[in-house]
Amino acid sequence: MKFSYNWIREFVPGLTQAALPLERLITMKTAECEGIEETGRALAGASVAAVLSVSPLPDTHNVKAVVDLGELGLRTVVCGAPNCRGGMLSVWLPVGRKMIHGVDSDGMLASGDELGVSRDHSGILELTGGEPGAAIAGLLPDSIIEIDNKSITHRPDLWGHHGMAREVAAILALPLTDPVKMDLLPAGDAAIKVRIEDLTLCPRYSALVFDNVKVEPSPLWLQYRLTAIGLNPINNIVDMTNFVMAELSQPMHAFDADLLSGDTIVVRTARPGEAFRGLNGEEYTLDPANVVIADEKGAIALGGVIGGFDSAISGRTTRVVLESANFLASSIRKTSAAIKLRTDASMRFEKAQDPANTLRGLARAIELLRQICPGARLVGGVADHKREIPAPPPIELPLPWLAAKLGRELPSDEVRRILESLAFGVAEASPGVFRVTVPSWRATKDISLPDDLVEEVGRMIGYDTITPTAPLVPAAVPPGNPTRRFHHRVRDIVIDQGFTEAYNYSFISEEAAAAFGFSPESHLRVTNAIASDQTLMRRSLLPGIWRNVVENAKHQESFRLFEIGMEIRPRAEGLPDEIPHLVAALYDRHGDGASGLFEMKRVAECLMPGAVTAPADALSWEHPARAATIEWRGKTVARLFELHPNLVETGRAALLDVDLAVLEALSAGEARYTPIRRYPSSAFDLSVIAPLRAHAGKLQETIAASAGPLLESVEFQRQYSGPPLADGTKSVSFRVTIAAPDHTLSNDEIAAARAGIIDRMRGLGFELRV
Amino acid sequence: MLDQSIQDLLSRSLKRIEAAQSPAELEAVRVDALGRKGALAAFSKEMGKLPPDERKRIGMVLNQAKQSLESSYESRERAFAADALSARLDAEWLDLTLPAPGPRRGHLHPITRIQRELEDLFGSLGFTVLDGPEVETEYYNFDALNIPATHPARDMQDTFWLDGGRLLRTHTSPVQVRGMERLGPPLRMIAPGRVFRNESVDASHEHTFYQLEGMMVDRNVSVGNLIYFMKTLLTAIFHRDVTVRLRPGYFPFVEPGFELDIQCLICGGPGCPVCKQSGWVELLPCGLVHPNVLRTSGIDPAVWGGFAFGLGLTRLVMMRYGIDDIRQLQGGDLRFLEQF
Ligand SMILES: [Zn+2]
Repeated sequence: MKFSYNWIREFVPGLTQAALPLERLITMKTAECEGIEETGRALAGASVAAVLSVSPLPDTHNVKAVVDLGELGLRTVVCGAPNCRGGMLSVWLPVGRKMIHGVDSDGMLASGDELGVSRDHSGILELTGGEPGAAIAGLLPDSIIEIDNKSITHRPDLWGHHGMAREVAAILALPLTDPVKMDLLPAGDAAIKVRIEDLTLCPRYSALVFDNVKVEPSPLWLQYRLTAIGLNPINNIVDMTNFVMAELSQPMHAFDADLLSGDTIVVRTARPGEAFRGLNGEEYTLDPANVVIADEKGAIALGGVIGGFDSAISGRTTRVVLESANFLASSIRKTSAAIKLRTDASMRFEKAQDPANTLRGLARAIELLRQICPGARLVGGVADHKREIPAPPPIELPLPWLAAKLGRELPSDEVRRILESLAFGVAEASPGVFRVTVPSWRATKDISLPDDLVEEVGRMIGYDTITPTAPLVPAAVPPGNPTRRFHHRVRDIVIDQGFTEAYNYSFISEEAAAAFGFSPESHLRVTNAIASDQTLMRRSLLPGIWRNVVENAKHQESFRLFEIGMEIRPRAEGLPDEIPHLVAALYDRHGDGASGLFEMKRVAECLMPGAVTAPADALSWEHPARAATIEWRGKTVARLFELHPNLVETGRAALLDVDLAVLEALSAGEARYTPIRRYPSSAFDLSVIAPLRAHAGKLQETIAASAGPLLESVEFQRQYSGPPLADGTKSVSFRVTIAAPDHTLSNDEIAAARAGIIDRMRGLGFELRV
Repeated sequence: MLDQSIQDLLSRSLKRIEAAQSPAELEAVRVDALGRKGALAAFSKEMGKLPPDERKRIGMVLNQAKQSLESSYESRERAFAADALSARLDAEWLDLTLPAPGPRRGHLHPITRIQRELEDLFGSLGFTVLDGPEVETEYYNFDALNIPATHPARDMQDTFWLDGGRLLRTHTSPVQVRGMERLGPPLRMIAPGRVFRNESVDASHEHTFYQLEGMMVDRNVSVGNLIYFMKTLLTAIFHRDVTVRLRPGYFPFVEPGFELDIQCLICGGPGCPVCKQSGWVELLPCGLVHPNVLRTSGIDPAVWGGFAFGLGLTRLVMMRYGIDDIRQLQGGDLRFLEQF
């Protein structure tokens, strides 16, 4: 929302602060300012110019004009405007001398656009009066203060200059003037009937009829006001409605009365499928959730959003119905969202405007029309259909409670002054307790609780006047968060193994999901995705890590990275399961990939000491001969594999995908001490001859299962294939350690244990090299 | 006569020990002079033929000669051993400027780093760390936070909607409600986490970023307490004085509500893309917990009050490390990640 500094100053005559310090005050006490824009700067040097004579410049579309600048003398300027002619009054700007088409041109004649007073750049500005050489009456450079819309969503009154002026007056303790003269409202029967069908959707509809209206361009001052705050001047009638809106935050609409059918304006919900053509030329298909303004034939406006095309003000208009109404905020918001059209009107009505404001808008319109459409005549009185809106109950504000909330003592007369300057009514209910009445424009949504008044007082005294005070609370050990602590521990372990942490988006594309075997339907879908490759909620971290691998492989020969994040798994009802996973990747552009996989296996064992790697059937995105699950404490916790070479352009990527929820559950529990064995253990080596693709891990398990009660450990030593072993076989050596808890094993016992293993292994069909 | 022979042997042998060029030569001298069949042994045998007095005297001479030879021998032997050791060690010359093999320690993501720092900081102040789901219901993300469906504030937070009316949390504030429901008053909690806004991405905007929600509910909590707390917090976070300002801010779940801005640490004030050219960075929306929010969470606002704040973790990280492009944080580029 843009605010004109000059406009605000009209209501706060005592304002002496320049725009910049004022902007800071507003930011600190009312709403966030996003910046200041100077406008109409050229007006500072502009003079009224009487064009004396014009002569064409051959072979150009320009003319040479001689202009009279009164006391400043005569000037010769080259001008390209089609409307430049002798006898007109225009505006001269001192922009320096320049040779143009052989003419020594001094200064220039300016268009409304060049001056910043309108959007018109079709020709030079035509003035209707003024003394040559004088400044242009009523047009001054202005500063436009831009307020962040988000910071005034709760303030319907701050969508107009008068509301902001009230804040400024309160901040600076200055008087505020009111531009509205309610006694201008005509008494008597209205010239048009108004009927609201649902007083909840439309609490009030007020209207006035004018005839003898002449539609023409607005005077410059009005065009300038609207242009400066970003509104488009159109004609005097439409500009007037926009002016009232920008001043009082009361959106208005003008209908061409001769284009309406019947004698009654009805406010009703739209019929299913009802067609409506807006002022913007767009066709809309409405439904009963939308409120329309209708005449006998149909919708003439979409209530609170946009007027209709067919009843719009035009050059032929002579009779006008002026609407000043109020609509239910939530209904406007819904309609505006449904048809994807946000207008200056809908933006304001969404904020819950004050129903009392409709008549103020009409009163202001009457006065403005006298200035800018002097022939116009009021016909009849005010048509006004409304719901009775009870006055909001007063708020009890105990001053000690206020002081306790703010953490600062406050003199009661200061509290009173602040509230009254913001138009609250203040009475003393009992000693130390104020009874505060809320002005109608703050009561629609904004203020209903004493807590709301804490803010009103707090922001006006300035939060920098409150002394920071330590809260006095009992010391207590906070409840822990073991899951979060566990994830931090996992991070530390993986980092120590050389892996760097990456974060990826929670969104993935259907293609990426498909690459990892997931159908789009198995994902939670984003219904308003920001891009077509971010439509699904990831149910695996693999697609993200895959992208990291591919991208980083462009710059690095080898790397290790990981992510900890949530797998989002939809459930039929309620919130999805969010399962924390760790996915780590090790990429190497060179080599056969084996060392990477074993390094990854070591990472798994760092996380799960004693975990067993079990060969598994590869999934489609896994290397068909390099996939395994990691089993720990009886559960499958992770998957270890090489990414299918089709998914990596060059090089190899080893991946580990760990379910952290399972891992955390298995990691719980404290270590328990067992006494250190008092008798030495004994070890011997065994070599098993096995097929080349026999898994060493399985052989080790088999030996362990054959070893009997004395077994302490079986460790892999080495494996060998080649002569003298038969083709297709290998020899795998293990070291077996045995011990007894109560004595040192004798040589006989050791030999018996060894023989026992060999016998049992042979019984299972294994050949042993002894 | 025997004396003379012993003295001759002694001086001859000492010279030979001195002149020995190798352990073998030295050993030869030892065998000749001190060996079981060496010269001294031979003198010792001859000595047996002498009268007792003479024998005793020669015995002492002989002993002195032996000690002298042995000590000379041993020191020469030690010298040879020392030479041998230094020769062997010299041969083990190693170029320690060669790189060490194996991976280096990896790097925590900068957001993880700062988040942990804050978890520790708040833990030391008696706050518990809570987690909430990333996929939320309208109830927790909006309604329970005093943002009903018709509230225009819903427009302030462009929401990602999911199947079945679920949504991606637009802030960490839902964890306030979950925390109050779970823990009851009094409580002190923080909730760091990932949040989502449906907006297009550029150097200073992301649809995925991180916040840290904080809340304290107790008896008699004032704006003065809140300011004290925020100042303590920011001093600890930035390890230095930062310029801050507190101004009104509108958030439906607090009343009064504030924006706490800090002067931009990237540009120091003149303006840059991170601070949207304003010189100030909105860091901390905060305020006193709205009585409706307390009531919704089963806490009586007549007895309890509180403050809440939402720290922009992503923005904080960018300021701490001087990161000028927010997209780096989720870009997965190791050239970026390895800097932390
Ligand atoms: Zn900056």
